[in-house]
Amino acid sequence: MILVRSIRHDDLSALMQLAASVGVGVTTLPANEERLSRRIAASVAAQSAPADAAPETADSSFVFAMEDTNTGKVVGICGIEGAVGLNEPWYNYRTGVSVRASTEIGVYRKLDTLFLCNDLTGSAELCSLFLHPEWRRDNNGSLLSKSRFLFMAEFPARFNPRVIAELRGVSDEQGASPFWESLGRHFFKMDFSQADYLTGIGQKSFIAELMPQHPVYTTFLSEAARAVIGEVHDGTRPARSMLEAEGFRYNGYVDIFDAGPTVECALPDIRAVRASRTFTATSTEATTGSNWMVSNRRLNDFRVCLTQTEPSHNGLPLSHAVIEKLAIQPGDSVRAVPLSARS
Amino acid sequence: MLVFRPARQSDLPAIERLASESPVGVTSLPVDQDTLASKVQASIDSIAADVSYYGEESYFFVLEDKIADTLVGVSGIVASAGFNEPFYSYRNETLIHAAPGLGIHSKIHALSLCHDLTGNTLLTSFYVQPSLRFTRGSDLLSRARLMFIAQWPERFADGVVSEMLGSTRADGSSPFWDSVGRIFFGIDYQDAEYYCGVKGRKFIAEMMPQHPLYVPLLSDEAQAVMGEVGPDSAVPFDVLTREGFETENYIDIFDGGPTLHAATRGIRTIAQSCLAKVMEGSVGGAAWLVSTTRLDDFRATVAEADVTDHGIALAPAVREALGLAVGDVVRVSPL
Repeated sequence: MILVRSIRHDDLSALMQLAASVGVGVTTLPANEERLSRRIAASVAAQSAPADAAPETADSSFVFAMEDTNTGKVVGICGIEGAVGLNEPWYNYRTGVSVRASTEIGVYRKLDTLFLCNDLTGSAELCSLFLHPEWRRDNNGSLLSKSRFLFMAEFPARFNPRVIAELRGVSDEQGASPFWESLGRHFFKMDFSQADYLTGIGQKSFIAELMPQHPVYTTFLSEAARAVIGEVHDGTRPARSMLEAEGFRYNGYVDIFDAGPTVECALPDIRAVRASRTFTATSTEATTGSNWMVSNRRLNDFRVCLTQTEPSHNGLPLSHAVIEKLAIQPGDSVRAVPLSARS
Repeated sequence: MLVFRPARQSDLPAIERLASESPVGVTSLPVDQDTLASKVQASIDSIAADVSYYGEESYFFVLEDKIADTLVGVSGIVASAGFNEPFYSYRNETLIHAAPGLGIHSKIHALSLCHDLTGNTLLTSFYVQPSLRFTRGSDLLSRARLMFIAQWPERFADGVVSEMLGSTRADGSSPFWDSVGRIFFGIDYQDAEYYCGVKGRKFIAEMMPQHPLYVPLLSDEAQAVMGEVGPDSAVPFDVLTREGFETENYIDIFDGGPTLHAATRGIRTIAQSCLAKVMEGSVGGAAWLVSTTRLDDFRATVAEADVTDHGIALAPAVREALGLAVGDVVRVSPL
C-alpha cells in the first residue's frame, strides 16, 4: 500500500538514495545531503509548532514522504511552504503591456514587457514534488500532489491564503532553455542547467540579483524565447492540468530563468480543500467505490492514503489495512475528499 | 573668398537648396519652407535681442562664396538645448552584475532615455557643399560659430554639445533605428527624422520607451553602430575632435550616433582666440580665423596674415569682405 506521511529524521538516507537513483538534473530533489537534512529538520520543527501559528511567525515549511508500506521504501516527496520570500527575496517576472501612442503622427504601439517583481512574496507555495519514475502510475502522482490539500484544509492558519505553484518551463533534451539563452545568458555566462541546480539548492535569489533589474521589452528577445513565456515543459503538462482542475490559474507571473508559469489559487477555493469533509472512520473487511484521499488529521505524523470507498450514513467505511496505515482507530475522525473532481 | 555670416530672409531660396541636399539625419534642416523661414527669423530676433541670460535664442549662419556669389553651407547654434522642447539622448549606462561567490562579474550596458544634456549650448544644422568637405571652408563654417561664442560668452552655456549623425546603410536606412526606434515608433527612420524636424519633438515623449534598454538584447548590427559616426558627419566630427570635443556616454535616440561634448572655455578655437587691431597688410603669413566683433554685423573668414603685438595685418580684400576699417578690433584664432 502507498502512504503519504510527514517526513522524519530517519528518512534522510532514503531521500539521498531516491535523489541519487535519478541522477542529475532533477532540481526538485537535489542530492545535497546538507540541504535535505535541513529541510527535514525544518519540517519536524514546523510539525511541533501550534496548529494556529501563522506562517510569518512560526516554522511552516512542511515536507511529506511517499512510502511503499510493503517495502518501507521512500518513493517520492512533496512539500508546502507556509509563506515564501520572508528570508530572502522571492522573484518573478510579471508579464505586462506597455502602450505608446501619438495621435500627432498616427501611431499606436502595444509592447509586451517583463517586470522583475516580488509580488508573490508571502504566498504559500506547493513545492518539492518528486516521484520516482517507476512509481508514476496508479494515481500515485495525483495522490502525492493533492495529499497536501488535505493538510492545508486541516491547518489553514499555517499557510498564507494565496497559494502558488511554480511549473517547470520549456527546455530541450540537453537542458537548454530558449528563454534563458535569450535573456539570462546575457547577464552572466552560465548554462541554464547550472542556474537551475543553484536554484534547487536554494541559491535562487542570489542569482536573481544578477538578472536585469529594469523591465524587459520582450520584443528584444528571440522568437523562440517569446514563444515559451508562460508555457510549461512537456513533462509538466499533466501537473498543470491537475492544478488547473483544482482551481489554480495562471495570472501572468513567470519564472525569471525559464519563464515557466506560476499558477495560483486562494486556499479556500482549492477544489480538494473546499470539497473535503470530516467523517467518522468505520471499519470493514473491504471497501468499494471511487477514489478517495483520506487523512488522519494530525499535525504531527500526518498521514494520507488513497482508497476506494463511498461515505455511508454513519461514516466513511475504511478497510482494516487503511485504518492501520493511518494509525487510527475505528470511530476516529478522518478528513477525506474524492481524489478528483466529479465530472 | 568665403565669408561666414548670420542668415537673412533673402537667403531662403539658397538655404532651401542646401537643405534639400543635406542628409536625412540633420533634423534641424528639414526641406520645409516655413520651418526654415522661422529658423532664419529666430536667428535675426536672437541677434537683435538684449540677452542678459541665455535661453530660447538660436542662431543660424550661412557660408557665402563671394566670388561665385552663392551660399555653400549652413550651420547653427542653439543657445540652450532643450529650452523650448525636450532634448533627448540615450545615456549608455554601465551596470555591474557581480557575484564573487559564483565567479561572475559582468558589465552590462543599458540605454536610458534622458534629458541630461539639457541646458548645454548645441552646435547644430551643419551642412557644407561636398566640394568643400575637409577644407578651410568646412573648418570656417564650423569654427566661426565658436568665434561667435567666444565674443559673446554670456549668450551661451558653460558646455557645448553636438550630435553626430550615426551610421546608415547605403539606402539611407539606419540599423540602430530598425532595431530600437522602429519597435517603439512603428515608422521608418526617414519619416521619424522628418516628423522631428517639422512637427517638433512632442511625439518622441509619447512614443519612446519608458524603461532602459539592455544593450546585449539589441541586434548585433545595432550594437555595432552605437556611438559610430556616419560618413555624413565625418567633417564636423573631424573639426570638433580637433577642437577638443569628446564623446561621452550619450548617443542619438534615432540613429545611435555619438553626442560630442566640451567645456566651452576649453574649446581650442575659443581658448586660443584673442582681440587684435586691424592694420594694413597684404596676403601672406599664417592662416587665421578672423571675425568681427559687431553683433549687428558679424562676419568671419580665414585669412593669411601676420599677427603681432600691434595687431593683425589684413589685405584690403579681407577688410572689404568683413566690412572692416583699419583700427577696428577683430577676434582672431589660429586656424
